[in-house]
Amino acid sequence: MYQFFTRLMFILALFIGFKLPAIAADSHTSDPVRIGIMAFNEPDEVMANWQPTADWLSQQLHRPVQLTPLTPTQLDEALAKQRIDFLIGNALTTVAFKKNYGTSHLLTLVHNRVHSPEQSIGSAIVTRIDNNLSQWAQLKDEKLVSSDPQAFGGFQIFAATMATKGINAYRDIPQLRFIGFPQQKLLQMLLSGEADVAILPSCVLENALERGLIPANKLKVVLKQPHPDFACEVSTQLYPGYALTKLGHTDHKLATQVVTSLLQIPPESQAAVQGRYQYWSAPVDDSPVFELLKQLEQWPFVTNWQRLLHNALPWGASFIFALLLGYIHHLRVKRLVVKRTQALSAEIAHHQHTQKILLEQQQQFYRAQRVLLTGEMASGIAHELKQPLAGIRYLTQGCLYRLDSTQTELATALNKVINQVDRAQTTIHRLRTFCQQTSDYQPCDLRAVIEETLTLMQPEFQRLKLSPKVNLQTLPVFADASLIQQVLVNLLRNALDAMENSPHKSLIIDTGTTSESVYIHITDSGCGLSDNALERLFFPFETSKPQGLGLGMVICKRIIEEHKGKIEAQHAAPGLTVKVTLPLNQPSV
Amino acid sequence: MTPLYLVDDDQDVLDSLSWMLEGMGLNCKGFNAADTFLKSVDIKQPAVLLLDIKMPGMDGVALLSHLNQVQSVISVIMLTGHGTIAMAVDCIQQGALNFLEKPVDGEKLFQLLTQAQQHTEQKWHQQNLQSDIANRLATLSQRETQVMEGILAGKMNKVIAAELDIAQRTIELHRQKVMQKMQVSNAAELAWLLANHKF
Repeated sequence: MYQFFTRLMFILALFIGFKLPAIAADSHTSDPVRIGIMAFNEPDEVMANWQPTADWLSQQLHRPVQLTPLTPTQLDEALAKQRIDFLIGNALTTVAFKKNYGTSHLLTLVHNRVHSPEQSIGSAIVTRIDNNLSQWAQLKDEKLVSSDPQAFGGFQIFAATMATKGINAYRDIPQLRFIGFPQQKLLQMLLSGEADVAILPSCVLENALERGLIPANKLKVVLKQPHPDFACEVSTQLYPGYALTKLGHTDHKLATQVVTSLLQIPPESQAAVQGRYQYWSAPVDDSPVFELLKQLEQWPFVTNWQRLLHNALPWGASFIFALLLGYIHHLRVKRLVVKRTQALSAEIAHHQHTQKILLEQQQQFYRAQRVLLTGEMASGIAHELKQPLAGIRYLTQGCLYRLDSTQTELATALNKVINQVDRAQTTIHRLRTFCQQTSDYQPCDLRAVIEETLTLMQPEFQRLKLSPKVNLQTLPVFADASLIQQVLVNLLRNALDAMENSPHKSLIIDTGTTSESVYIHITDSGCGLSDNALERLFFPFETSKPQGLGLGMVICKRIIEEHKGKIEAQHAAPGLTVKVTLPLNQPSV
Repeated sequence: MTPLYLVDDDQDVLDSLSWMLEGMGLNCKGFNAADTFLKSVDIKQPAVLLLDIKMPGMDGVALLSHLNQVQSVISVIMLTGHGTIAMAVDCIQQGALNFLEKPVDGEKLFQLLTQAQQHTEQKWHQQNLQSDIANRLATLSQRETQVMEGILAGKMNKVIAAELDIAQRTIELHRQKVMQKMQVSNAAELAWLLANHKF
């Protein structure tokens, strides 16, 4: 940075040394040169002090010069809106505005009473004469007054010095008050006892004494630092005084002209006398100002974390807000996921439960069917064996009758045949009795049985892409529901098997009641039966299916007859209609 | 000799049963379906029928029911492979003489057949008698019927004459005519005859 500044000065010097005639020739414009002057108070007084200098400039440049006194706040605004071309202000201004507005230090003012422009201003800590303040740390407990926190000569130099002692002037001094201008007011407050310590720029006390504004030997400067070349008593290091600063946008030719004219102001001129300065000088070493800004933590060229943080705050806040929104969304999605998962698992559980019940029902059904089949098989076998056994017995007995009384040996043997046949008969009879099961008759509604059966058969309907046309109504009967279900499943399965290869599949289940009975008609559009097959439909071991036992319809017939009902089959066009009739269960019975 | 018929769809059973019955000295005729039987046999005549229950087409119970309906005099003995009590009760109610499980023993069957023969003969005679009486009654004129009712009520001729408001001599003539037409010699015989008659 320093290198940069040095280079800047060099370039300026080049302009001043070699380019001056050319630049002077160019100055013909009549726009006013706008110069801002730092003023904490009393703009009229500031204007009055500087007006002769402005007049001098105007005369030299042959164009109007417009002076504008600016408070620190107005200064910021004026800079931002480029309302001024030059600024006359304290040593801080050039450095402080360098980064944001590209200001360049052009000249340093050499104040009255000052031998070297580098040492123009310091801060004086003024107390009453009886105050024995000797340590900087003791200031913390005193009643302090100062004019303005932005005032360079008074407070800022003081604050920077405090900072080197490890004390934060803004935070650590609870009884610090800013009173404002004029600065003489602070001295009056010390005299009246309203305050114990006043922070003032150097020479304010000396000026006041000189002008007789306060009595002598009442106030003193404490924590003094010796500066042999400086006329006033100060408590801090000394810094350069006012400076002329060019703003970034200002034309360098104009700047050169302004610098040239100001440098030519003689100390005895009206401008210098009224402006209370000796003359303008080339820029002096302002590195102590940089140091001061660093001490005040206002160094513009290092990253100002606080400011950065402040600038970043809205972004950070929106980022955090967005994060928060994202997190809320995440939470919501998570909650939804949990909820949906719960619902889903509940549904799965429900589904599994239903499936389990269905499976149990199916198993129960098949168990019942197996028992029925076993019974029917035993019955069928018994019947089939009984016929030939009966034949044997008849034939044997017929033979016996044909024997005469002499053929006793044959008679004995034939009688033994009869005994053997009887023995076989008994075995068969026992087998049949064993396989017969007891039925459980109860009043029930066939409608429910049919509905349950259709649910049971649903997968098979789906396999054939068939939806049965069902006409259901209340069908009160006195029956064993599980046996009736066997009948229905058998009939429906037969119907489905018959339709396996039919192009047009339809299944109609019609129900109804008459005065004495209920009926179920099941009509399919399958391959139907031949007359002969229809006649022998209810005979055991008669089957058209390769894997069939031929007992299904036998079981149906037996079950229905056990219920005192009737089952019959007739041709449909096409297919087959099976009609089941059962006695109506009268409500009064 | 009362004819004996067998109806069973199983030809083997039919043959073997015939063999046994013939061995016992009984002539029989077998049919393997109910409708063949109905076509070839006069069911108005006395006969004994051994009937299987389980048959295709018209089964044993249906045939029994039919015979019962047309008031056949045929004695029916049911023979079944596997009978239930309900089935047996049903058959007896429909007029079956007996309900037997296959195979039936020859001796037992012989007795039952003898009974059945007597039963069908008796039934036939009874049926003949009934129709005979009905025929005789049909020959009576209206007046004669009135007089007969008076006689059966045990009334004297003059009482009947007074009730019908006709001469006693006329009543006597009517009475003589009634006895003649009903083929009886006195009032007691007439009462006995009509007591056996089912209207």
